[in-house]
Amino acid sequence: MTNTLIILVAVLIIAVLVQITRVSELLSEIKKQDPNKVTDSNNKTQGILFLVVGSAFLIFVVWQMITWNHLLLPPASSLHGQEIDSLMKVSMGLILIVFFALTPLLFYFTYKYRGNKNNKAYFFAHNNKLEVVWTVIPTIILTCLIVYGLRTWERSMNPDLSQAKIIEVYAEQFKWTARESGTDNKLGKASFKLVTDQNALGVDMKDVYSKDDKVIREVHLVVDKPVLLKFRAKDVIHSAFLPHFRVQMNCVPGLSTQFAFTPTQTTAEMKEQEGDDFEFVLLCNKICGAAHYNMQMSFIVETQEEYDAWIASQKVLSEKLLTQK
Amino acid sequence: MSEHHHKETFITKYIFSQDHKMIAKQFLITGMFMAIIGMLMSAIFRVQLANPGESSILYNLLPGDWINEAGALNPDKYLALVTMHGTILVFWVLTAGLSGTFANFLIPLQIGARDMASGFINMLSYWFFFIATVVLISSIYVQGGPASGGWTIYPPLSALPQAIPGSGTGMTLWLISITLFVVGSLLGGLNYIVTILNLRTIGMSMKRLPLTVWALLITAILGVLSFPVLLSCGLLLIFDRSFGTSFYLSDIIINGEMLHNVGGSPILFEHLFWFLGHPEVYIILLPALGIVSEVIAVNSRKPIFGYKAMVGALLLIAFLSFIVWGHHMFMTGMNPFLGSVFTFTTLLIAIPSAVKVFNYLATLWRANIRFTPAMLFAIGTVSAFITGGLTGLILGDSALDINVHDTYFVVGHFHIVMGLSAIYGMFAGVYHWFPKMYGRMMNKNLGYLHFWGTFICAYGVFFPMHFLGLAGLPRRYYTNSAFPMFDGLSDINSIITFFALTGAIIQAIFIFNFIYSLFKGPRATKNPWESTTLEWTTPVERIHGNWPGDLPVVTRWAYDYSKPGASADFIPQDVPLKEGEEEH
Amino acid sequence: MNTAKNKALKQLLWVGMGSIAMFFAGLTSAYIVRKAEGNWVDFILPEWFVYSTIVIVISSLILIFATRRIKKNKEIFALIVIVFLLGILFTYLQINGWKELTSMGVYLTGEGSNVAGSFLYVLTLSHLVHLAGGLIALFVAAIHVKTKKYTSESFLGLEITAIYWHFLSILWLYLFFFLKYL
Repeated sequence: MTNTLIILVAVLIIAVLVQITRVSELLSEIKKQDPNKVTDSNNKTQGILFLVVGSAFLIFVVWQMITWNHLLLPPASSLHGQEIDSLMKVSMGLILIVFFALTPLLFYFTYKYRGNKNNKAYFFAHNNKLEVVWTVIPTIILTCLIVYGLRTWERSMNPDLSQAKIIEVYAEQFKWTARESGTDNKLGKASFKLVTDQNALGVDMKDVYSKDDKVIREVHLVVDKPVLLKFRAKDVIHSAFLPHFRVQMNCVPGLSTQFAFTPTQTTAEMKEQEGDDFEFVLLCNKICGAAHYNMQMSFIVETQEEYDAWIASQKVLSEKLLTQK
Repeated sequence: MSEHHHKETFITKYIFSQDHKMIAKQFLITGMFMAIIGMLMSAIFRVQLANPGESSILYNLLPGDWINEAGALNPDKYLALVTMHGTILVFWVLTAGLSGTFANFLIPLQIGARDMASGFINMLSYWFFFIATVVLISSIYVQGGPASGGWTIYPPLSALPQAIPGSGTGMTLWLISITLFVVGSLLGGLNYIVTILNLRTIGMSMKRLPLTVWALLITAILGVLSFPVLLSCGLLLIFDRSFGTSFYLSDIIINGEMLHNVGGSPILFEHLFWFLGHPEVYIILLPALGIVSEVIAVNSRKPIFGYKAMVGALLLIAFLSFIVWGHHMFMTGMNPFLGSVFTFTTLLIAIPSAVKVFNYLATLWRANIRFTPAMLFAIGTVSAFITGGLTGLILGDSALDINVHDTYFVVGHFHIVMGLSAIYGMFAGVYHWFPKMYGRMMNKNLGYLHFWGTFICAYGVFFPMHFLGLAGLPRRYYTNSAFPMFDGLSDINSIITFFALTGAIIQAIFIFNFIYSLFKGPRATKNPWESTTLEWTTPVERIHGNWPGDLPVVTRWAYDYSKPGASADFIPQDVPLKEGEEEH
Repeated sequence: MNTAKNKALKQLLWVGMGSIAMFFAGLTSAYIVRKAEGNWVDFILPEWFVYSTIVIVISSLILIFATRRIKKNKEIFALIVIVFLLGILFTYLQINGWKELTSMGVYLTGEGSNVAGSFLYVLTLSHLVHLAGGLIALFVAAIHVKTKKYTSESFLGLEITAIYWHFLSILWLYLFFFLKYL
């Protein structure tokens, strides 16, 4: 019933529009005017509209920046993340300056040079000097930005791994599992061929390094201590996204990828800062199937003592697999 | 090429036409039809995002099994909608609909040729496209639904029906459809290039070509070089899906089943895909910029500023577009050095883009602007190109991409450059060349309404997305309600959906205007915009072979608007130079 | 004859061949990238592929000879037929090459297959598919020769067929040396 009504209403609206258009055309015919000729009055209206709507657009942008600023991610909770945030501030600053310079200029020109039969356009076809100026200046600015960006990238991608705690993060449809490497800080070898119901990560228990590995459902990190996350995937491409740490890395079946970082704030500190329901969280950030929107795992950053207590309570793999039927 | 004296039957005039003008209109109508479908899909998934898990009247448009008992959209079908929306808009609307229409329509007319080099191949290019369209639409109704792995169809997700239902028959049909589409595209591109290089009329040197033709030429070259790599990419995927090879697949356990594939790499797919994927976005953008150059010049009554620089910028953008593809892959674990190279080349592409913007601004300076609806959209294109292009600087910077990759920040960026900039260019082209295509005028006031409504709603939809991205919200999420950290974003989502639905409804004004004007629009004159380019010297009724007598002879460039010393404020390209007049 | 139309149609072919070349460039790039990642089985290319290479080169030479002869108004129908048959022979030799590969244990897919083999099959199959188009063109050209459609001045169809056939030969030479030495 509602469908029929909607169609009827649509048909009516179309009929009304047809009549309005026909009437306006007939009126123009009577007045011996071309209904579609753009008049000076049209130009004035449209020019003013550009100024008005353009200004409204810019105000809208500023309004969004002010109103939604508190919704953005808090400052990075990792070392390299802080560098990324600085780069972001500089880059954003730059593009905002250019945006707020060029956009008003565009709309101002459309207003100021709105057409009028008394005006004549100025035949100004080229100017090589101008071309050089507005090629060279962006080139210089962009080169500086590139250099800054590449340094930040290099430092994010090539941190010192010598002290890093190794933790594996395993992605599958539709959950995350992690594996602590234990006191030897080495992950036991794993292969998809060894995956069973009990051994969900396919760890090779014959590998001596596997003995002290622990499979965990939430990751605990020690504040200010570097960690190296190693990623694997079981079925399709997933992506490990830890936005608060400025960490993202694809998890690709058949490949191993990794990302190292140092968390700089504990979960407790963040709860004080952002509110009690704050959690560091791992999301999936590469389309992976129906429940792509709901792959979560908690990351908890805490002190060394708190971590030690927690890890002691987790079972080692060799024990866990033995006791599982 | 045969003389154009043969009698046309209904079939050879309207269906299997070899006349470039008719083929152009076939592309336009098919493109517009697909645009409506793609837009409806986005309206539907925007409704899901604003009211997650609830039912909606719009879902009645979908096949029955896409909705669960509660009346809500199924999560995998949300991904199907997102995939098909992207596929349809990127390929069907903004490539075929934009290039197919305007390259076919404008090239022979603007260079002074009777038709394309091969009308037959041109006709084939449309019919391959048509069949591709039928195959793609049919994939919506198969069991399992259409392809659902994103328009970027990364394996293993797109290779395994067990991973998502749409990767079954739906994905097979997608691949067949895209193969037909690419072949059609290539057939068209061949024609565009060869026609422009060989069939220019006397006096039409490359330096006198309108910028639109330059843009279409460069776009066609981009296409013939990059689309075949999509075919090779897709061929290997077909082998993995249907013949058990391991080009892209390795170490997979899906739904409890261990697959035999070993040694494949999904990243190989990404490299091959994006080798097309990045030039593809310039294949989309460049024709729009070419159209905009024309529309701005005509309606400013002065030459486009910096003709040579504009051509140079087009060439540089095209060249660079081949060496930036890795910026879609920064987070794949690639060698960081490689990432640096791609950041470098990507940020470089900003330079010719900026040059173009400055040249557009300089064209508007001291102009005498006539605000036709086409001109409004052309200015909208420039605005969107500034806005969207600037956020590209953030995304192209690999270190910054770490936290915005695959978030709504990306969605905002590419919609503003493609969904605003390129689509506005397409609208500008339709409004501007409608009189030449159909011999009638579109309604000006409806055009004004359409522009302002679209301009306001489009920025309302896509600008807020940058904030969603900076808040960490990933794209392609069925709902944002699974993570408490996104609870505060639901207001933004509602605002976006509001503007999206309103904007979608406003397009009805355009559809109405188009169809109404087709039948009842006031008859156009030969050159209603008082333009200098050659297409406006053809008769209003449009004839096979374009000009009734001899082909025009060109004596000047395309931009003699308000030339000092001239009596009229424009001089068509085929008007001989006056005594003592110098060519610009 | 080099009228504007002929020139344009030949250019259509050239651009089309450029596209086909890019298709194979995509496949051979994928090969190179994949090979560098390891887990790659090397094997000796069966002799059949050497024979087929020789056959296709000879067929191109004969076709060159034929296009020279037609300019002097001489008979070339037999030559075109020979080129066509050599094309069929090429196909037969390629298939024999595949048969030998399977007997060597190199498969496209399935148990015991390796991606090195898969690439080889895909590349040679793709070439053969494009060759099928060349065979069709030769067939049509042969008919036109027989029905005296061409003159010593105007034989565009044959020219285009020949250009495409030589492209297929050169493409095969590239693939052959690529597969043999890379």
